[in-house]
Amino acid sequence: MTTSKERSSLQERAKQRTTGAFRCLSCFKRLSPPKGATHYTCPQCNYEWRVAWFTPEEPRIRGPVWDSYEQLTQDRMKGGK
Amino acid sequence: MSLSRKIAFVDLTTGKIETKPISKELRRKFLGGRGLDMYLLYKHTKPGVDPLGPDNVALISAGLLVGTLASASSRTHVGGKSPLTGYVGSANVGGFFGPEMRLAGFDHLVIRGKAEKPVYLYLHDDEIEIRDAEHLWGTDTRDVQDLIRQELADDDIQSLCIGQAGENLVKYACIRTSIKNAAGRTGIGAIWGSKNLKAVAAKGMRDIGIAQPKEALAYNKEIINQVTSAKVSKTMQKLGTPFIWGVTNSTGLVRTRNFQLNQLVNADDIEPESIEEDLVGTAGCFACQVHCRGKYFIKEGPYKGTYDEGPEYTSQGAFGAEVGCTSKNTVLVCNHLVNYYGMDNLETGSMISWAMELFEKGILTLEDTGGLDLTWGNDETVIELVHKIAKREGIGDILADSPLEAAARIGKDSERYLVHVKGMSNLHSDERPTPALALNIAVSSRGSDHLRGRPAIDLYHLPEKVLRQIYSNPIPYDGPLTSDYRDYEGKPWQVMWQEHLYSTVDCLGICKYHTVFLGPNMPAYEEWANLIRLNTGLELTPEEIYRAGERGYTLERLFNIREGMTREDDKLVDRYHDEPTPLGLPVVRGRFIDRDKFKIMVDEYYAHHEWDENGVPTREKLEALSLNTLDKSGSEPSNLV
Repeated sequence: MTTSKERSSLQERAKQRTTGAFRCLSCFKRLSPPKGATHYTCPQCNYEWRVAWFTPEEPRIRGPVWDSYEQLTQDRMKGGK
Repeated sequence: MSLSRKIAFVDLTTGKIETKPISKELRRKFLGGRGLDMYLLYKHTKPGVDPLGPDNVALISAGLLVGTLASASSRTHVGGKSPLTGYVGSANVGGFFGPEMRLAGFDHLVIRGKAEKPVYLYLHDDEIEIRDAEHLWGTDTRDVQDLIRQELADDDIQSLCIGQAGENLVKYACIRTSIKNAAGRTGIGAIWGSKNLKAVAAKGMRDIGIAQPKEALAYNKEIINQVTSAKVSKTMQKLGTPFIWGVTNSTGLVRTRNFQLNQLVNADDIEPESIEEDLVGTAGCFACQVHCRGKYFIKEGPYKGTYDEGPEYTSQGAFGAEVGCTSKNTVLVCNHLVNYYGMDNLETGSMISWAMELFEKGILTLEDTGGLDLTWGNDETVIELVHKIAKREGIGDILADSPLEAAARIGKDSERYLVHVKGMSNLHSDERPTPALALNIAVSSRGSDHLRGRPAIDLYHLPEKVLRQIYSNPIPYDGPLTSDYRDYEGKPWQVMWQEHLYSTVDCLGICKYHTVFLGPNMPAYEEWANLIRLNTGLELTPEEIYRAGERGYTLERLFNIREGMTREDDKLVDRYHDEPTPLGLPVVRGRFIDRDKFKIMVDEYYAHHEWDENGVPTREKLEALSLNTLDKSGSEPSNLV
């Protein structure tokens, strides 16, 4: 049977998994939208993301809200950030 | 028993077939699959061999764990000297063929010569038949598999095959099995076409032989739990590889309109969640529980009602962003057509997008295209060009050649607009903001290639602590590692580490999605040591397995050098350095690859590999890997096979 040594590496790495969150693609802040949310705005950088759920507990970014995306980016670029 | 495996040498010119056992020494050195094929490629071809001549080889190798129940261990490697690049030809494929080949009694095939008329091979019960395939010539990749099953009256037969693209020597024709499984890159399908080899079919009832069956089964289960509980696997179960689009296109990392833009704006119809609406289920390969392959029917247009599988992320880019199309239907139709004809979707889309940019710039005209309007986003033209390439009709005949050959035929400075490395087109990713990914494609052994060394997890902004856990194993590494994908520091080590990792899983026959490719918490060397021991009885340490992967990768380097590659080939096209990204988030906008920093990265990458400043493996390195018996003439004196 599998030894404890054989198991350790897998399980140690698995402990580092996060659930219910994704990183903002603009500022990399970890975001946890309310369950079922279809849109979520990053409180840190203000980018609004369209959200999809690949399980009832796990969200992911489907895409940006394009209308505000370009304007926000232009503003950031002008601000030198 | 579990390591009593055979290799068969088939000469299509003479009809002679010879079988030999695989020595344990060779197995320990190269494991199987890609690594063993690289050994066979180096040993059984002469320098300068014509890729489409009878002296090139068509190689087929099962990975070491293929046929066992180790998670996702279906991958079978195919190889030869590439007609696309003139360097290493190498690709691998999942599905069910590899296990069936092993059940038929064979692990490796070396096919040489050229048949006088079309043939196919039938492997069964430790025997190989060379059978007439004249009646199969001209069939697509589905029909040929069905017809072989009918002819041999056995629905369980699995085949590798080529479609019309391989017969027509499209330089990026691929090898197919099942509906959509593809050994896609470097044009191995054209090698088969040049040999009049339509298919290799297999059916067997031999005992695979598992060293410790109960223990292997228990450990396999643990690995499966680890893999299927990972977020990336859950995502792929639902969306397939198109899930990647959410991150890459939202950020601005998608090559669009050839290389003019880095994002396809307002393309919601080809987002994975939109594609998912058309899926009727998912399918998987042998011994895989993830099932990442979508099943769909085309819903509208002339192909309405047609069934196919996929699309992969590569088809989203090839027939979406690259060509400026925002229609899901175009992606699904073109995905179907490349499956049908047997072509590499990535190269097909790249060649079409290149032609579209040439058309936009007036280098190609309506006269050149036979009246086809190659304006960006012209869905009908894109679909029509896929047909024309496969059949080598009109402008399609030029685009069916390799990128560099096509540019030479068109002239007019058209090569300037190719987006390639070593003559193979880039994935539809835009690597200008990501130096690690840019280095990966520049130095890859088979041309621009995300599947040879891409540190894809570099995009995840992982903490340095996690990166160090991954990249310091099984070989210690205490150099820099950073979470910022825009950095240049530490990236050469990541690229080299991933090269050896991917080489290793390609030797084992394990799917890359079940290792540190798209997810950080996936099995690696320690787990593979256990899988190998329990399934085959071969005792190897994690470091020995790492070195086996490195050995195969080094041999690819040696093969390329033998065929004329130099440091000058480890480069990006000028646009990476001269044209900053115009779109995307602030973190990626205005980015380009700095020439000086890039040169330093290449130097560091060579140093990590223990290659000299010209990218040639040092004598010491070759001795350490026991590759020093390979001499400069290309002959291999050890005679292990």
